[in-house]
Amino acid sequence: MTARNRGGPLQGVRVVELTKVWAGPCVGKLLAYLGAEVIRVESEDSLDVTRTYGVADINNAPGFQSVNPQKLSVQINMKTREGVGLLLDLLGKSDILVENLRPGAVKRLGLGYDKVKAIKPDIVYVSMGMYGSEGPLSYQTGYAPCFAALGGLSSLVGYEGGAPVGMNIRYADSTFGASAVYGALVALLHRRRTGTGQFVDVSAVECMSSMIGDSLMDFALNGAIAACDGNRHAEMAPHGAYACRNGEWVSIAVASDDQWRALVDAMGQPGLVDHPSFCSLAARRTHGSELDSLVAAWTATRDAQELACDLQQRGIAASRSQSSLDLVSDPHLWSRGFYQEVTDSAGQAKTTTGPSWKMSRAAKVSSGAPRLGEHNAYVLGDILGLSAAEQRALTAAGITR
Amino acid sequence: MSALTGYKVLELAESVSGEYCGKLLADFGAELIKLEKPGCGSPTRQLGPRAPGTDDLEGSGLFAYLNTNKSSITLDVTNPSGASTLATLLQHVDAVIDDHPAGWLKGVGLDPDTLKQVHPQVVLCSITAFGQAPPQDRLHAQDLTVFHSSGWGYHTGSTADENQPPLKGAGRFLPSYEAGLEAALCVVASLYEREDSRLGRFIDISQQEVLASRADYVLAQMVAGDMAVGPQRSAYDLHGPAGIFPCRDGYAYIWMSAPAHWAALGKLLDNPQWMASFPANWLERECTPQRVAECRRHIAEWLKTQDKHAVAAAAQNLGLTLVAINNARDLLDSPQYRYREFFAQVEHPVQGVALYPTVPYKLSETPARILRPAPLLGQHTERGLATLVGEQAVGSRADTGGAS
Repeated sequence: MTARNRGGPLQGVRVVELTKVWAGPCVGKLLAYLGAEVIRVESEDSLDVTRTYGVADINNAPGFQSVNPQKLSVQINMKTREGVGLLLDLLGKSDILVENLRPGAVKRLGLGYDKVKAIKPDIVYVSMGMYGSEGPLSYQTGYAPCFAALGGLSSLVGYEGGAPVGMNIRYADSTFGASAVYGALVALLHRRRTGTGQFVDVSAVECMSSMIGDSLMDFALNGAIAACDGNRHAEMAPHGAYACRNGEWVSIAVASDDQWRALVDAMGQPGLVDHPSFCSLAARRTHGSELDSLVAAWTATRDAQELACDLQQRGIAASRSQSSLDLVSDPHLWSRGFYQEVTDSAGQAKTTTGPSWKMSRAAKVSSGAPRLGEHNAYVLGDILGLSAAEQRALTAAGITR
Repeated sequence: MSALTGYKVLELAESVSGEYCGKLLADFGAELIKLEKPGCGSPTRQLGPRAPGTDDLEGSGLFAYLNTNKSSITLDVTNPSGASTLATLLQHVDAVIDDHPAGWLKGVGLDPDTLKQVHPQVVLCSITAFGQAPPQDRLHAQDLTVFHSSGWGYHTGSTADENQPPLKGAGRFLPSYEAGLEAALCVVASLYEREDSRLGRFIDISQQEVLASRADYVLAQMVAGDMAVGPQRSAYDLHGPAGIFPCRDGYAYIWMSAPAHWAALGKLLDNPQWMASFPANWLERECTPQRVAECRRHIAEWLKTQDKHAVAAAAQNLGLTLVAINNARDLLDSPQYRYREFFAQVEHPVQGVALYPTVPYKLSETPARILRPAPLLGQHTERGLATLVGEQAVGSRADTGGAS
């Protein structure tokens, strides 16, 4: 099987990536998981930091491998005029370009949208930046927690009356990536129907704001600015994470008075049902701290998983709060095939996270992340039609390696 | 013509994830036909935020946000006559979006096998909390419990105080929005292939899996055995001085992981005495807890005298990654959001004019646009059904809740 016949809805689509770290590579990964042929263009002088940071072997870097399975790698020195020429030749035979280099970098390389469009008029050109490619703040840069901070998420996450704590530091990049994939696919479909390509300009910060659209509507309609409120919810109470035995936590969300009665039944405290402090959602929200203390006192000595099962049987939404150990051993994630085995060109098998979706006629996920320049011969020879002698000459001149 | 003009999508969904998926398609021009229960409509009509002074069914700002550019048709698909109208509708649509609990689709005759037999051209996307076959201990779910089953709950926020409960994450519906986004990208990929094959597809989106996949960079390393797993709530964290600090007018987030960041900080602060005792590459090579604590103490002292937007601009100009912690008002005021027109003015017949958040991707040829506000309940019932499937096929007025 090659990258061009894995099946899936994007079989036959060719994607070129000029991406680094997490969010950009995530775009290529999702497109590859949908069946596209994804080619990373890498330059030894300007390697993705995930190939080098804290690892001895650039071809065996776990961080890089986590977001680059199922891709091809070609090594082209983009600091040379000939290298940029080769890349433009490749783009002439491709459908989508994804880049998340620093602001202005693609233009400095001579690979801006206008240059690529001149070679390939119907290219779908996906540009990813913290703030998008243009505008008064587009010069600013940052990492995932900056996206969440700027997009309005961090200010909503914290304990009641306290300073913002923010989302987990890892949150944002894959959401940014998935949003860019959606924009790219809408543009690809438009091209399929009209022949017209376009420029897709994705802002990481706006991706984050899209995850709190209803909070922004509250400001638009009522001028309301939400403060940190722990685990409170406007339409549910109890609603939170409660400590259990052995340092575990259970999350419980009670959405109706019926569920409240069922919870009180499980707690063995029927007197709470009609207690004036808890008899309605409004009352339970007003007495939220007292309510949380009662629930927490009950959960403290229980096993989180048993408790979640018990509550589920009573029709209440509850889940053990899963640690990283719980996640990698979650039988449901395994049985759905979320974790999949991929094999690299050296025959090394590795378990990784597959696509989140299941679909009929899905693309096969089978290959690991590429070694640097592993597919030079395929890209330069098979796609660009260069002879072995021409390829050797390019290597000798330091344009490819 | 926008990118998805001409596609007809039937929305059976009636919670946030499916309605958000439908919105993402509708804002690019797809014709979204939303089926709502006669009388009460989608349950999201009951959820806040509410526009001031509005009645029950048409006052939800949440519904207004999630259902721009859609048509509303009242139809009870769970009774025989409604089901027959649904079957007719399915012959005329390209895709169907649902987000009811697992098993509901089978109840209306839309399980994947039936679909393949009877409507092989339809792309059907089902969004559920745990996929089509949830285990017995995961039958009931809310956004919060999915967040916790996905690993994000346990690890929110970073550098947690172990005595305090893990936090729910931003807003009420982040897991639903994430799943809706994933669903939309799968639907569009399927429509792309369908242009050639004329074949539909069944798409099974699990919110738990979507959220877990959003930690792919760490989770893939963990499941591969390349990164430690364990009961620590800090398992996803990076260690160093990065964090949120109070400013004079709010909060700011500072990121520091490389010698270049340290050098930029020195430039910004004019190389104060306290920095001199740190090795130039300490962030990368000698990041001890003592140094982190001392660095954080000095940064806290400094930032509390600064204004968040001004200090962020000064820092960014020197290559230091420092940003403001924005709230909703900051976003409305952001010159960058104005430049990109992230907020769009929408006039709703009941709620009036408001600035709605739009989408994070600008497409140069086919930008997403909000051309119509969310529909009133049943606003398009009669004309909509007649246009879609022809007069004869329309079910009785009783099934559609009468004229609306």
